[in-house]
Amino acid sequence: MKAGGLLRIFCVLGFIFLYAPILSLIIFSFNESKLVTVWGGFSTKWYGELFRDPQILGSAWISFQVAFVTATLAVILGTLAAYVLVRFGRFRGRALLTGMSTAPLVMPEVITGLSLLLLFVSMEQLIGWPAGRGKTTIIIAHVTFCMAYVAVVVQSRLAGLDRDLEEAAMDLGARPVRVFFDITIPVIAPALVAGWLLAFTLSLDDLVVASFVTGPGASTLPMVIFSKVRLGVSPDINALATIIIVVVAIAVGLATWYMRRSARNG
Amino acid sequence: MNETVPVALRKPWAGGSEPPFVRIQKITKRFGDFTAVEDVSLDIFKGELFCLLGGSGCGKSTLLRMLAGFETPSSGRIEIDGQDMAGKAPYERPTNMMFQSYALFPHMSVEKNVAYGLQRDGIGRAEAHDRATDMLKMVQLSQFAGRKPHQLSGGQRQRVALARSLVKRPKLLLLDEPLGALDKKLREETQFELVKIQETLGVTFIVVTHDQEEAMTLSTRIGVMNEGVIVQVGEPSEIYEHPGSRFVADFIGSVNLFEGRVTEDKPDYVEIAAPDLGGSIHVGHGVSCTVNQQVWYAIRPEKVRLSRERPESRRNAFEGVIDEVAYLGNLSIFRIRLANGVLVRATRANLSRYDDEALTWDEKVWIAWDDTAGVVLTR
Repeated sequence: MKAGGLLRIFCVLGFIFLYAPILSLIIFSFNESKLVTVWGGFSTKWYGELFRDPQILGSAWISFQVAFVTATLAVILGTLAAYVLVRFGRFRGRALLTGMSTAPLVMPEVITGLSLLLLFVSMEQLIGWPAGRGKTTIIIAHVTFCMAYVAVVVQSRLAGLDRDLEEAAMDLGARPVRVFFDITIPVIAPALVAGWLLAFTLSLDDLVVASFVTGPGASTLPMVIFSKVRLGVSPDINALATIIIVVVAIAVGLATWYMRRSARNG
Repeated sequence: MNETVPVALRKPWAGGSEPPFVRIQKITKRFGDFTAVEDVSLDIFKGELFCLLGGSGCGKSTLLRMLAGFETPSSGRIEIDGQDMAGKAPYERPTNMMFQSYALFPHMSVEKNVAYGLQRDGIGRAEAHDRATDMLKMVQLSQFAGRKPHQLSGGQRQRVALARSLVKRPKLLLLDEPLGALDKKLREETQFELVKIQETLGVTFIVVTHDQEEAMTLSTRIGVMNEGVIVQVGEPSEIYEHPGSRFVADFIGSVNLFEGRVTEDKPDYVEIAAPDLGGSIHVGHGVSCTVNQQVWYAIRPEKVRLSRERPESRRNAFEGVIDEVAYLGNLSIFRIRLANGVLVRATRANLSRYDDEALTWDEKVWIAWDDTAGVVLTR
């Protein structure tokens, strides 16, 4: 089993490379010492410090609001896009719509951010909306790229949905709208939940796009962290990062579990 | 009309004043360049169990889907119970359909699946529950009412699908390969159950199937389809014993086909020269044909007699050698090679458990048949 042994070693090395930095971050978040690199004993004081910092709490609340609204809007728009792409067969501009709806997946964030900023500025000059930049503009920006992810996830689920189910419902007397809410939505629900969680974490994580399109008074959590770290890494950032990692891990874990469970139940 | 007499005995299709329940008039369906169903006209009567039989891609499912309203005919007219179905959506039609995939809603329990159609009609929760429960009792699934479809076996799912499509008491039930996904044993049991339910409820059934045995067992009448066209319509025995074309003769059951030319055409008999057999076939009744016309003689394997001695009658008797014997338990299939190399199939019921005299490989035998046993086909 020489090959197997070697494989195992590489596997372990790979995981260490990926997760050691995160692990050290989590460990040092419980460090007593103010020096980030020197272990001074176990303590949870940085977590306490964190929750007394109004700037952190405020931006966390903004981030949460933005992520929540973004995820919800992205699921609605992404599902509609997916439905059109899967169900409407060949229509004029289908290839264009496919390309446009998935483009944000590969578009560099800097370009997305910059172009949206330019759009918002010129829109404000032309029609007076959005007046200034803040949470609204961040949400709009986030929805543009999050809905692409949702569309991809929902599209695959929708393509796998047995058309007979919808026809059967129609045959039993349900009108198309009824069929959509009674049959289509419940059957693709796992993809909707997974898409929502995915959009939520993407929005929560984003720094670049948000930095471009935000305005005064609407700093998201990643922005606050970034600006703090530029002044030097303080241990309370480790604590904050740990919390974020836990939240994101739970969301991703839930999304995966939900997708798997529904795949099993067919 | 007399409703108490079963439709299979009433035979309204043979003539009479009873109006057809389903009237399909010159229906054509094209998908782009492809014609799936071509100029099909069909009358189906109340209480019938009508089978649309054909190979895959013959258009039978498309025809069924047009009756259900999932496809719109390119031209033609469908009437159900005197009502024109043009422009009627599936949810407005007096039909229900049982899908080949069963299409049970995976997120609903068995009972919710069955009650779904009733609730769409605005029937209250309590009454819907009662009727669903009754229907589940009829298909013997009462104890599974709370289960989800994925917790059921194939046979149980089939019965849920049947219950769901019957619970609304449709005037017409459309079944797409209803027994296709079941194994042989279960299929045979379910066939009889299906007929029983159909007779009890008096609903008109239209069944699509590719399985000729299923069609023979179930139906009052069969419509054989090929390449989008109805080739022949008739009662099972009619289709089997009086096929109208080589396609039908070959598609339903197995058959020996010999090509030949009419040499004598008399009102009470016909003589056909068949090079395949190395002789001539005597047909003991008149046939509408002309001398020298090319015809095909179709004879079923079970109507071919085998004997070691030369039969008394010299007519329709030919000599050959047994090429192959297949023992199927209830009967044996023989393949007899004639002098010119043509193979003829014959079957024999295994009447005795100990048959020392059984015909076997490489034996010389005579094949023979009655002069009314076969069918003369002109196309």
